[in-house]
Amino acid sequence: MPHTAAYREMFRTSLLIRRVEEKIIDLYPSDKIQSPVHLSIGQEAVSVGLCRALAPGDLVFGTYRSHALYVACGGDLTQMFAELMGRIGGISKGKAGSMHLAYPAGGLMGSSAVVASHIPHAVGSALAAKLHRSGQVVACVFGDGSLEEGVAHESFNYAALKQLPVLFVCENNALAVHSRIDSRQAFSIEAMARMYGFPYQRIDAGYDFEEVHRTSAATIDAIRTGVGPQFLEVATVRAKEHVGTGDDFGVGYRDRASYDAWCAKDPLLQDRATYDALIADIDAEITAAVAAAEASPAPGLEELLTDVL
Amino acid sequence: MTQPRPEIVSYANALLEAMDGALSQSPNTVILGQGADDHKGIFGSTTGLATKYGADRVSDMPLMEDGMTGIAVGLALNGVYPILTHIRSDFVLLSANQIINLIAKYKYMFGGLFEVPMLIRTVVGRSWGQGAQHSQSLQSLFAHIPGLTVVAPSSAETILDTYPYLIAKHRAPVISFEHRMLYNLDFEVDRSAAPANPLTPRVVRQGRDLTIVATSIMVLEARRAARWLADNADIQAEVIDLHCLSAIDPAVLMTSLGKTGRLLVCDTSWPGFGTAAEVCRLVVEQDPGVLKQPVRSLGMAPAPCPTAKALEDLYYPNLATVVDAAAALVRGRVDHGVPLPAEKTMSDIYKKFRGPF
Repeated sequence: MPHTAAYREMFRTSLLIRRVEEKIIDLYPSDKIQSPVHLSIGQEAVSVGLCRALAPGDLVFGTYRSHALYVACGGDLTQMFAELMGRIGGISKGKAGSMHLAYPAGGLMGSSAVVASHIPHAVGSALAAKLHRSGQVVACVFGDGSLEEGVAHESFNYAALKQLPVLFVCENNALAVHSRIDSRQAFSIEAMARMYGFPYQRIDAGYDFEEVHRTSAATIDAIRTGVGPQFLEVATVRAKEHVGTGDDFGVGYRDRASYDAWCAKDPLLQDRATYDALIADIDAEITAAVAAAEASPAPGLEELLTDVL
Repeated sequence: MTQPRPEIVSYANALLEAMDGALSQSPNTVILGQGADDHKGIFGSTTGLATKYGADRVSDMPLMEDGMTGIAVGLALNGVYPILTHIRSDFVLLSANQIINLIAKYKYMFGGLFEVPMLIRTVVGRSWGQGAQHSQSLQSLFAHIPGLTVVAPSSAETILDTYPYLIAKHRAPVISFEHRMLYNLDFEVDRSAAPANPLTPRVVRQGRDLTIVATSIMVLEARRAARWLADNADIQAEVIDLHCLSAIDPAVLMTSLGKTGRLLVCDTSWPGFGTAAEVCRLVVEQDPGVLKQPVRSLGMAPAPCPTAKALEDLYYPNLATVVDAAAALVRGRVDHGVPLPAEKTMSDIYKKFRGPF
């Protein structure tokens, strides 16, 4: 059966994210990007499926692993590479870097490097949507480690109490830096979500952007009708080390076999026909973006004290 | 000809007026805080507003300081102006992550893509055994952080000229340290006296012999001490209310010190790494030669606040310690010969005397 146009579009965005990050890996030894990078390779389908399900005007908040969300929200690649390279042409004039990508025109309202600190921002945005009766839905993407932070629970309680239009999306890669989830969490995520009264869904095939999209779209439609917050857990895999561009399968805290099993199902690796049809165009887009970013100058002294207050 | 009687407004009523005005002027202003809608109304500063403007706009909150402050970020990003209340400033520390890591940085970190203007109101406790966790004056902690505007209003007039300005015009996050002992005091208010920039330090008393730079309730103590010094020793103290701790204009300090040459700093908090330290930094970076005497500073003793009244009375500066320090500065010796007031504690005085100031 031939693929749908939606499949091809989501495949393209997912592959674009992956190739952007592989370009970052290529560039990193050159020190053109002088800031920590937390790569999303393996997790692209979560952002892509979710963001496709958001309507114009909907908002999304994410974490320091922010590249996938930025690209999935339609963020400009030149502004992204310029941001990573600390250039004035960056989306945030180089002051944000990799960990704090934002793209308000596409609904991405910020990304924080302090784990879980963005969850109340999504809840507050949903409160604003309710106050304004705007019909907006707010999505909040966080990792499994966020669920150990107190502010996550304060935020869940309030969202449930006020029945706010927010979709909580837990990207569960089962790792927090170098710690496995079974060494960190005494509770089940499903039981926790249900304790707050959230309708809970889990997607095990987190590589499947179509399934993420289908589930997100149905859930967002429901939230828009006023049913209150919902919780979606998506199992996913972090291919690279926590921070940096390397692999770290050999250091003892994770196993290669489960990653290999995941790769065997990853459409970006398995669907060669679609890959081959898109790759040249994607790589040309990235090459052009990198060149344009490198042409952007560094910010000058006048930027040092701009936007403090 | 008789002078028109000055308008008298209590600190709490000035706050209530500012809150009411903010809610009435913009439908996008909300007040969130534990007890903001209850019968006590944050010591009278929000009383009746939930009924007047609705529960959506003046809202009680669960015990979630950190989350509440993050929610304020989400509101601010979407054009809502949040006013947060904390009945004790100590609880603000639970939201320090949001304030310091997120709110102070949201505009700069994203290169100006976003603004998060908001007002965080906190109340500093003192007297009747508030103890170590209900009494802290944390203004210097937050004034240290670029991106935050920190105020400590000392009077009804400064609330009325500053809060409406901050809420309507200041597109940045503000944290205000209100003093619980000021709430029930009455103040003379001159509504025509509002400075063009309400965040500048204010000279509240002219004098030639020394400059007392003070914050919050210590402005009242400095004014009372100045009166005592004038009445008992012909010493004329100039008193400056710093008012905004995060943007002190050194020119106001230097103009005064150019006249007096003597500096006494009276803060509500600990002197070390605090307001006193910052005022000294600003002065000596401008011109240390302006000082005729070493600087004196008064603040809380360098310890957690004790609950026992006997110790608490020793913990805070009072009228006598301010007079003593000022007299020693002006006379140039510790045995200055100026009589000291018998008053031992500010809280006993303000229990009986409510102003007007």
